[in-house]
Amino acid sequence: MNILNKIPSLNKAISIIYDIIHVSKKEFRTMFKDRGVIIMLVLAPLSYPILYCSLYKNETLTDVAVAVVDCSRSHESRELLRHIDATQSIHISNTFSTLAEAKQAYNEKKVHGVIYIPATFSKNLISGEQTTVSIYADISSFMYYRIINQACSNCIQDMNNQIEIQRLNASGINGEAAKIISNPIPFDGVGLYNEGAGFASFLMPAILILVIFQTLFLGIGIIAGTSRGENRFHLLVSSSVHRGGTFRVILGKSFCYFALYAAWSFFILMVIPRIFNLPHIGIPFDIMMLMIPFLLASVFFSMTVSVFLPHRETGMIIFMFMSLILLFLSGISWPQSNINGFWKVFAWIIPSTCGTQAYIKINTMGSDLHHVFFEYFSLWIQTILYFGTTCWAYYWQISKSKHRMAGE
Amino acid sequence: MANIISSGLKNSINRELKRMTRRPIYFISTVLTMAFTYLFFLTFFNEGQPNKMPIAVVDLDNSAISRQFTRNLEVMQHSHIVMRLSSHKDAREEMQRGNIYAFVEIKRNFAKDAVSNCRPTITFYVNDAYLIAGSLLNKDISYISTASSMGMQQKILRAKGVDENRIKSIIQPIVLDTHLIGNPWANYGTYLLQVILPGILQLMVLMMTVFPIGVEYKERSSREWLANSNNSFLAALTGKLLPYTIIFTVLGIIGNMLLYNYMHFPLNSNIGWMFLATFMLVVATQSVGVLFIGITPVLRDGVTFAGLFGMLGITFAGSTFPIEQMPVGTRIFSNFFPIHHYFEIYVNQALNGAEIHYSFCSFIALISFSVFVLLVFNRLKKAAIQQNFPIK
Repeated sequence: MNILNKIPSLNKAISIIYDIIHVSKKEFRTMFKDRGVIIMLVLAPLSYPILYCSLYKNETLTDVAVAVVDCSRSHESRELLRHIDATQSIHISNTFSTLAEAKQAYNEKKVHGVIYIPATFSKNLISGEQTTVSIYADISSFMYYRIINQACSNCIQDMNNQIEIQRLNASGINGEAAKIISNPIPFDGVGLYNEGAGFASFLMPAILILVIFQTLFLGIGIIAGTSRGENRFHLLVSSSVHRGGTFRVILGKSFCYFALYAAWSFFILMVIPRIFNLPHIGIPFDIMMLMIPFLLASVFFSMTVSVFLPHRETGMIIFMFMSLILLFLSGISWPQSNINGFWKVFAWIIPSTCGTQAYIKINTMGSDLHHVFFEYFSLWIQTILYFGTTCWAYYWQISKSKHRMAGE
Repeated sequence: MANIISSGLKNSINRELKRMTRRPIYFISTVLTMAFTYLFFLTFFNEGQPNKMPIAVVDLDNSAISRQFTRNLEVMQHSHIVMRLSSHKDAREEMQRGNIYAFVEIKRNFAKDAVSNCRPTITFYVNDAYLIAGSLLNKDISYISTASSMGMQQKILRAKGVDENRIKSIIQPIVLDTHLIGNPWANYGTYLLQVILPGILQLMVLMMTVFPIGVEYKERSSREWLANSNNSFLAALTGKLLPYTIIFTVLGIIGNMLLYNYMHFPLNSNIGWMFLATFMLVVATQSVGVLFIGITPVLRDGVTFAGLFGMLGITFAGSTFPIEQMPVGTRIFSNFFPIHHYFEIYVNQALNGAEIHYSFCSFIALISFSVFVLLVFNRLKKAAIQQNFPIK
């Protein structure tokens, strides 16, 4: 004891650590006593990723039903249709004799596209002229249009190559020369990082980060709103904390959120992609290094905003819809290069943007930490910035409540 | 009797309107949220399509032909060459940094091989981690590559003395002619808005149904609420929700007008049907909200479940990923989301311009959501009188 007294700084350090642990223990206890908080901070982050992954698990469309109006009814048209039907993406479900009938089937949602082959199709092909095949595609979802267009144009391209060689032969150009002329500059398009152009592999990584961010944000909002709404803010300040208490309260609370979400991050970002076969070529250590500033920035950001929420429901009612806006701001579906200046700045303010970008670059595209330097650095800046604002907001609240208590 | 109810209804409406001015949350989560949403998405997607996305060229050949190719690429709608790099590795790293979404690699001796019939290959890489950017760029670069190849063929055939009229039919015997039903421009931004705007609307309707009802139970003011409406719970509930029905219908219709009149999104039916569908979406969603707060008249749980349900609604509308390609069971489940039926109406009417009878079932479905209110009506009424639920 004597020795401790002689080293006041050590003594103080021990008391600070003791206070922090005390606050965070208390915070854990209040969290797990509140059903709403458990739903938001435990149930939602664990169930949402599984739910969304199962919904989108098909990645791409298969056997989309299309109708055919074959006015040519020839050997050539049947061959083309056979090829189209044989693709993985398209299934020819109906054959009609007029476009009007096909339109009715389309309106009844029996088919998602119509392939129309004109009566002159085979005649033109035989006589060496150019001919046209028309497709009408459902655009209610972009996926339909893309898959129908892709399958048809691939099949037609194949057929074109065959016919071209035949026609070249007919013009007296044979053998290897015909082959070369039919495709003098072949091209090879390589889709990187998401080979099958899968929908889940594209969207899910962003959703995973947003689930972490939004549940954390709304959960902290519920906790803070509850204590404010019930007008017992003084409970946040442990009685054993005296001067400089603000720091201890903040560190204690943030440690508690950080620890909980460090565990969830491991589950959501490391386990889920492996279970559901989402892209996961990133180095786990890099992802871990990224999550430290991301979680810290998110925790402090949420704590700052939460101070202004008067009731426990307020945060959810007002900010739930932001999930969607954050998804667009993250620059995953609408490319970041095309977001205009104002929204780019707005997006930067919120930690989820840099978090999503950096996670996708590391995890999906196999970047190293130094490739995502901008995002990584930004997240640390945000951590410092929001730690400052949290301190200010808490200090303001605590001094207000002390004032009130003194008044009573 | 009718007199009592109508005066009760009037009292209930007046009471709710007074309450709405008492706390800012009522204004924030109705008008302000929707106004922010409209403003955000209209300014965010102002281009309609992501144009001029950054790409790079690795031109190791630097010949007239390869430069011609690069120039052709420059004029495409979606791509903009921002870098000329000297190696594949540099380009890949720029891609990993997110500075470019695609790059084209032209090998050394490209021009020499092309003229000496050695079939040099153009290779391009697109980043499909950003699927939208990736597929648009893929389309552009493929188009240019095909065009270059065809240009080459044309040259060779001309040199071989093939009749000019026949060249086109030799190079491309079958032309594919793609039509997009209802939306000829395939405008990605406005296409997304069709589900996002009503999606956020229904989320806010859910919240602002659960909250005003739940808060009566939380603040233990439900008896006074009922007494004020001449002890008619029907009048009390209707009077409470009617202001929100009107506010959100107006906000929804403003959304419709922004899309069809301001953004000029294709509208192939009478806009009146979309107005009607919006109104019915609001009412149906309110019924779902009543169900949530009716199951447990506890505000905190009601808001949580309504929020989670509302977020799922945007997925279950079936625009981003078609419902019928999702796992079985999802299809049945999706019917419990009013926005799913709204989206069906939109597809049939505004997009496809089909006759109204094709949407009959969807309208009926939206109406039948009101059954939910009947399910919990008595329970809510009892809870209002007995006040026997935890308030937290």
